[in-house]
Amino acid sequence: MELDYEFMARTFGEVWKGAGVTLSLTVLSLLLAFLPAFYLAVLRIRGNSSSSRLAALYVSFVRGTPIILQILLLYSLLPSLIHAVLKAAGSSINIFETIDPFWYAVVVFALNTTALLTEVFRSALLSIPKGQLEAGLSIGLSEVQTYLRVIIPQALVVALPAICNITVNLIKGTSLAFLMTVKDVMALGKIAASYGYNYIEAYLDVFLVYLVLCTLVQWSYHFAERRLGAFRGNA
Amino acid sequence: MLMQIRGVRKSFQDNTVLRDVNMDLDRGNVVVILGPSGSGKTTFLRCLNFLEQADAGSMELDGVKLDLSKASSKEIAGVRKKTAFVFQNYNLFANKTALENVTLGLTAGRGMAKDEARKIGLRALRKVGLAERADYYPSQLSGGQQQRVGIARAIAVRPDVVLFDEPTSALDPELVGEVLQVMRSLAEEGMTMIVVTHEMKFAREVASHVIFMADGVVVEEGTSEEFFTNPQQERTKKFLKRILPETYEDPAVRI
Repeated sequence: MELDYEFMARTFGEVWKGAGVTLSLTVLSLLLAFLPAFYLAVLRIRGNSSSSRLAALYVSFVRGTPIILQILLLYSLLPSLIHAVLKAAGSSINIFETIDPFWYAVVVFALNTTALLTEVFRSALLSIPKGQLEAGLSIGLSEVQTYLRVIIPQALVVALPAICNITVNLIKGTSLAFLMTVKDVMALGKIAASYGYNYIEAYLDVFLVYLVLCTLVQWSYHFAERRLGAFRGNA
Repeated sequence: MLMQIRGVRKSFQDNTVLRDVNMDLDRGNVVVILGPSGSGKTTFLRCLNFLEQADAGSMELDGVKLDLSKASSKEIAGVRKKTAFVFQNYNLFANKTALENVTLGLTAGRGMAKDEARKIGLRALRKVGLAERADYYPSQLSGGQQQRVGIARAIAVRPDVVLFDEPTSALDPELVGEVLQVMRSLAEEGMTMIVVTHEMKFAREVASHVIFMADGVVVEEGTSEEFFTNPQQERTKKFLKRILPETYEDPAVRI
């Protein structure tokens, strides 16, 4: 078997163009998931039993179903749903043309990441000794002040390795977005390959791009953890 | 009278920890609370700062009267502004330096300007002998040093009363002395303190008043002199014998 190196080199540059889509999909999903996940984590820890159970239900629903199924379901459901709503409201906007599938992908991955981050935040918050909250109260801080200045900064450092894990998995997971016709790294690789059936070369390119992206992300998390966790004295 | 506590009761589920505890405190007093473990000393102290909510009881602090079982959050904040707490496990803010630990209650809690808080914070750290460790994180300090920072954090907010919850129980024996020394000098400066401890020597020498608790009630109280030289209750005598056998047990062989 001969690999077409010339094709491979050319396609490598081509596939890189999808890195922007892959990364923005990842970053947007993470950012959108951050606050809801934090809120759900607080509900899980301190909410009354019904709100806590509701949060737990959401987490187990998302974790308990394959992401590819969530993508297929939402991609079939969401556009028709919005279309129906718009039509009922008397609008003539054609939803199937105006909304870039990229945004459906953002919704799916944000919903998914919310569930994963909820559990990460929950365990991180629980790992900070309750005594520090009491200490904050005892010197006249409010509960919110103590959380913002003492508990959350520490919990974030505890959570960083797990958030890194989620980010890397998300980068790889977004490759499924090609199912929604989003032109990310994976999709560009497939398209390039399909002209001349150079699938192996194209997939190797895609492989390398993901490897580079994920390695860079892991380095930055490692760096962040060392900086933000300096107070732990064991960096 | 700086502080007057009446009728404190507290149960956890069906376990009654405090039944009708009373206490009086004058400015400059050092009250030491002694008692076997499980007697409710720590719970009582925590109720005074609303870290636990009592089931019943009243408090009069510096002329302000309130119900310990149903104080409003405003009343609770008021009490916490006038009291400070030193914890058994120090409970320093792990992400803050020693100085930041001391100043956070001033800046965030009381809205003081940073520079002024820093000045007060350094003065408090100097008082506990740790000014040169101001920029260290708790993880870089020994247990004794952490507890001294905990004390600096408590006195920096200029409380009317400092509550000490077994401040030396978590320390290695060789580090106990430095913490007790700091507490002793605070007492000499006239700081009002309530101290739950097992350090008998400290209680005897520093306390102006000793309270002995067992099973959720005050069994005996008196001046430190009365308490240690002439205990009245059988329960107290037994306790002292167990803790300080060399002082209270009749020697097996008289010389």
